[in-house]
Amino acid sequence: MIGVGKIKQYTNVLDRPLSKGKQEVSLSAFAFLFSELVQYNQTQVDNIAELERRLEDAGYAVGARVLELLCHREKGNRRETRLLGILSFIHSTVWKVLFGKVADSLEKGTEHEDEYMISEKELLLNRFISIPKDMGAFNCGAFVAGIVKGVLDNAGFPAVVTAHFVPVDGQQRPRTTILIKFAEEVLQREARLG
Amino acid sequence: MIVCVAVVGHQNNPLYIQSFTESDDVLKLHHIVHCSLDVVDERVNNPKKSGPTLNETFLGLLYPTENYKVYGYLTNTKVKFILVTTDLDVRDADVRNFFRSFHAAYVDAVSNPFHVPGKKITSKVFAKRVSGIVQTFGLSSAG
Repeated sequence: MIGVGKIKQYTNVLDRPLSKGKQEVSLSAFAFLFSELVQYNQTQVDNIAELERRLEDAGYAVGARVLELLCHREKGNRRETRLLGILSFIHSTVWKVLFGKVADSLEKGTEHEDEYMISEKELLLNRFISIPKDMGAFNCGAFVAGIVKGVLDNAGFPAVVTAHFVPVDGQQRPRTTILIKFAEEVLQREARLG
Repeated sequence: MIVCVAVVGHQNNPLYIQSFTESDDVLKLHHIVHCSLDVVDERVNNPKKSGPTLNETFLGLLYPTENYKVYGYLTNTKVKFILVTTDLDVRDADVRNFFRSFHAAYVDAVSNPFHVPGKKITSKVFAKRVSGIVQTFGLSSAG
């Protein structure tokens, strides 16, 4: 039969199937949305600590969902039970999906056993943000800290996560560090697992 | 024939229970799901072999009762999926596929920004997808 097996030609451009599209969102659209989020929260609170907490809560919700999605989509369904495993998962996989690149570095704290740091030369989030002098040490990276907290909490590693600016010589903008402090039970479990 | 599917949160709180037969007592199914949670905890805390089995999500046949078989699946966030079926000869691959599609539907339901984690899943789209998956499971096993 002639014609069977011919590729279907779409006469109307509207009938063509939609492509899957790139799994990316434009940075300017996100920056606009994030600035609105910060401004909205700023009107609702009267001090900086509360503002940081609100950004962290917003990030927490994102982190919980990102964990479920990534574990199903990418990791081949293996559950992380070790500390280093979950940290390297966040440092590479989560960062790659969220920001398009792996984080700059992952370090273990020297003073305390339960502290770890993920640093980034410039958080994608903070690229279009400048902090006024009277806001002091406020860092919009609290949103990213919330995301990390959401991932850790839901994976079974409760932790306190904060974002800090660390001044670096030779660079006019300070480096951002996400400080992760694990709860006592996590360290005990890790010691038990050997 | 799948009789019941359930999603249980990480504190063993029920997030979603759906039964697919009218003939059986719904309460009995709830009770079976509840008992299987103990078996899940036992498997998680005392693995039979250490190593890769410790991290496996699919837990396999949890326990067979008088005319039901119960299968379990554990996700990364300690959320458990329980499947109760009356089939006598269910293939392992079928159950794994079922859980994979079920996990995909669950991830989509949880990604909803209006869903509060820890509360019951109230999305109708999720319920419809689950019924769809349950029906295709029945067909592929029968063939």
